[in-house]
Amino acid sequence: MATSIPRVKEAREVLKKNKIVIAGIGETEQGKIPDKSSFHFLSLASKLAIEDAGIKKSDVDGLVTAFSLVEHTFMHCTTFADYFGLRPRFFSSVAVGGATAVWMAAEAAMAIASGQAEVVLCVRGDNTLSGISSSGMVALIREMCHAEFEFPYGLTTPGGYALAAQRYLHDFGATREHFAAVAVTMRKHAALKENAMNKEPLTIEEVMSSRVIADPLTKYDCSIISDGGAAFIVTTEAKAKELGIKNPLAYLWGMGQGYSHQYLTSLRDLDQIYNAINNSGQKAFQTAGIGPKDVDVAFLYDCFTITVLLELEGLGFVPKGEGGPFALEGRMEIGKDLPVNTHGGLLSQAHLGAMHHVVEATLQLRGAAGPRQVKDAKVALVHGNGGIVSAHSTIVLGKEPLS
Amino acid sequence: MAENKTYEKPLPDFRPETKPYWDACKRHELVIPRSKATGEFFFYPRAISPGNDMSEDIEWVKASGKAKVWTYSIHYMGPTKAYKNDPPYVVALVETSEGVKMMTNIVDCDPKDVRIGMDVEVVFDDVTDEVTLPKFKPAK
Repeated sequence: MATSIPRVKEAREVLKKNKIVIAGIGETEQGKIPDKSSFHFLSLASKLAIEDAGIKKSDVDGLVTAFSLVEHTFMHCTTFADYFGLRPRFFSSVAVGGATAVWMAAEAAMAIASGQAEVVLCVRGDNTLSGISSSGMVALIREMCHAEFEFPYGLTTPGGYALAAQRYLHDFGATREHFAAVAVTMRKHAALKENAMNKEPLTIEEVMSSRVIADPLTKYDCSIISDGGAAFIVTTEAKAKELGIKNPLAYLWGMGQGYSHQYLTSLRDLDQIYNAINNSGQKAFQTAGIGPKDVDVAFLYDCFTITVLLELEGLGFVPKGEGGPFALEGRMEIGKDLPVNTHGGLLSQAHLGAMHHVVEATLQLRGAAGPRQVKDAKVALVHGNGGIVSAHSTIVLGKEPLS
Repeated sequence: MAENKTYEKPLPDFRPETKPYWDACKRHELVIPRSKATGEFFFYPRAISPGNDMSEDIEWVKASGKAKVWTYSIHYMGPTKAYKNDPPYVVALVETSEGVKMMTNIVDCDPKDVRIGMDVEVVFDDVTDEVTLPKFKPAK
């Protein structure tokens, strides 16, 4: 699937020269927290990340936010800057669905590399579980499908993923156990994280016999909905030193995007999805000068179990169609071939896009992931997917500067 | 969105450029847009061909009405309360003989009998006085 991707050399030079790092992280309590608003979570997560970095709030000169599913704003980043009391030189709201968190890091890096800011706060927070109205939920479901040519047929968001899942089962002779195994691994990992929503053990049988939402996906094939916030601070190694940041730094080695479609009606075949995932991953891998085998811990977007298999395969960790057996054999567990989502992911920990994926990747590279620590983790990959496996983004992070 | 007291499910949001499509549906005719510049069919209908031609010169070609199920999902939960009594229902992505994909429902058959690759043909569901949705049923 390797394709020739333009401007890899230039991207590598920019990241080598600037030594862009994640220097601070923060996560609030996750779960059902009805007494906090979306902007409250954003503020708390920002405060935690600033405190984690040990810097002053006034050191922050760039702000990247996303969007809220509860409090709709036309200009999310500046609305939050106003609420939190920031006057950034650089501000941007990223809105590419589940590809957002990963691309927030990339956008911060690009802003820094082009001289727009030095210390960029990237933050998301939302009271999705407690705050979303039923009409808001319908609007969200509708957002994923074409209002004129798809939604009138009663397509839901899980249903969209189920369409991809059904075709996957058909093309590769995969089974529902393969999907279920992903949910089981995520649950095992969430059990090791204090700040996780669902920690009780889960078996393959339980996943398969749970309520069918959209065949072939059951309740446990679908991610959870939660309230909470998370943030990370992107800067350069030099600025981190100047500010006296003591945290071990996670260095940005590569980043990339890939696009397949917005509406499933525009999907030709599963290869179109694989190519989008691969384009995203290859840009990041080639910039980093590494391949899938060099990754010690991976964070894959797990809004539904099927996406993890598509991403494992599309990114080249395993050949096409072999993600299922890989999951079923437990090879995504901590201590095995490729630990995936050591924090429990969207399926079990919390759902804030890939924010927690980025935060946990940073913790792993710091060697500070406690009972979830992957031994000698030096390289981490984070992949986000927005829409219905439509829009992709990847970053590669390293424990050492890119050399 | 048209007002209708008995049909409470989501109706298509019409756009000016898709009028020929929905007008044809009302006549129980399936038409698929084709760029006159390239001769290529595309779906969903747009004002401008999504090909490199970027042409606004679009013709509406009467489709064969024949398709194959490319993928499907039996929905056990609908997107709005109006679907309360519908599940299980089948949402499918079908590939028409013209080579485009369409989102639709597979009707007039037990959801459990739907298979990928199954031959289906168009039927028209007059859901309101203003709106007719093309759906598909197993081919004879």
